[in-house]
Amino acid sequence: MTCSEVQRVLPEMMDGAPNNELQAHLEKCPACSDLVAELELISIEAHQLVESNEPSPRVWLAIAAELRSEGLIRDPEAKPGRPVLVPTERRRWNAWWLVPVAAALLVAASYVGMRKPATQIAEKPAVVAPANAPDLAAQSNQQKPAPQVAETKRPVPIDRSLDEPSVSAPVQVVSTEDRQFLDDVGQRSPRMKAEFESQLRAVNSYIRDAEAYLKQNPGDEDARQHVMAAYEQKAMLYQMALNHIQ
Amino acid sequence: MKPHLTNQAAGKGDLTDPKLAKTAEAEAIERAKQGDEAAFEVLYNLHKRRVYSLCLRMVSNPAQAEDLAQEAFLQLFRKVGTFRGESAFSTWLHRMTVNVVLMNLRKKGLPVVSLEETIETDEESPKKELGGPDLKLAGSLDRLQLQRAIEKLPPGYKTIFVLHDVEGFEHNEIATMVGCSIGNSKSQLHKARLKLRDYLKFMRAEKAEKQ
Ligand SMILES: [Zn+2]
Repeated sequence: MTCSEVQRVLPEMMDGAPNNELQAHLEKCPACSDLVAELELISIEAHQLVESNEPSPRVWLAIAAELRSEGLIRDPEAKPGRPVLVPTERRRWNAWWLVPVAAALLVAASYVGMRKPATQIAEKPAVVAPANAPDLAAQSNQQKPAPQVAETKRPVPIDRSLDEPSVSAPVQVVSTEDRQFLDDVGQRSPRMKAEFESQLRAVNSYIRDAEAYLKQNPGDEDARQHVMAAYEQKAMLYQMALNHIQ
Repeated sequence: MKPHLTNQAAGKGDLTDPKLAKTAEAEAIERAKQGDEAAFEVLYNLHKRRVYSLCLRMVSNPAQAEDLAQEAFLQLFRKVGTFRGESAFSTWLHRMTVNVVLMNLRKKGLPVVSLEETIETDEESPKKELGGPDLKLAGSLDRLQLQRAIEKLPPGYKTIFVLHDVEGFEHNEIATMVGCSIGNSKSQLHKARLKLRDYLKFMRAEKAEKQ
């Protein structure tokens, strides 16, 4: 066997059964035997890296939080005084909350879908940072974020009209700030105003339901999250309306 | 030529006695099925280093490796209810980790198998010029240098090398996971080792120059 033959068979034979011809060549050729020895050394040392690194503690924390939210980690009995992030039993019948969320999102997506891909909108709620949820929810009880959006960004004239409004929402009261913003929107496009108003009613009713539930269940983390989500939807709605008429 | 560890033998966790670790693992699996947080944590602690190190070797980015490790554990824990038997848990986890990492590489459009391999080249004659006596890789290698050298490997070579030499998967397993032929896996492994040898010698030469 020559040196170049060794080169050719090595990929096949390095980790395979011993081969007499190869062994014979390696015994009399220092270049090839050095090569093989070094490749073997690399291979053996590489295995030492199998558990060489430790992940940061955040990995377990994130896994545990996710398992809890999915109901895979369950508390044997919910201890009083300690906030239970996701009470699995309650979560099940709580699912009705998701109906207005989904509806509002659909409405919002179809609303802006005329202008932007719906996926962009659908991704927006992911901004919610669960760790801050209680603080944000507490804030949103006092100062409502949506009207602030309306104040910071003034609508500008629009020169195009909308398609037919396709969603009808239950009739609900609209606040003074909302009314003001609706009038602003109406000045640009009456048809858009109608569309926006029906969605605003839907999201307002969701907010009221969420707040009522939180009042009945103070300290319920789910309820807080829903209040926060509801306000976030409203903010989104305002933002989308603004984007649309600008 | 090289005594290869099987995945199971290589799959030891933090507990030093493998038998004890196995018992702890089997118990933890049963308790995890009941939703016990501490049990999940035991399973995590048994395997976190192995899983994270694998991810880190493959993507060479600690933050991304942590995300991938997290995803691999979550995928496994979600299926813990369907898990039966006690011995295959680590194998199951490591395969899942490989799948998560490969999926991530594919999503990013990175080659999982080296593209160079499709065009067969017959360069690589014995590199006698690099085999000077002072540059021999004799004795043990510097672990950090080896890590850095692996980081420098092209993605395709890196995949095969990490799976075979670091993780201890066999070529037929790698071929299935990666989607290449066994021959392809063998030749890429060899080329990866040759490249590493060059990198390491270069690093040694550099270090020697500085001193
Ligand atoms: Zn030779």
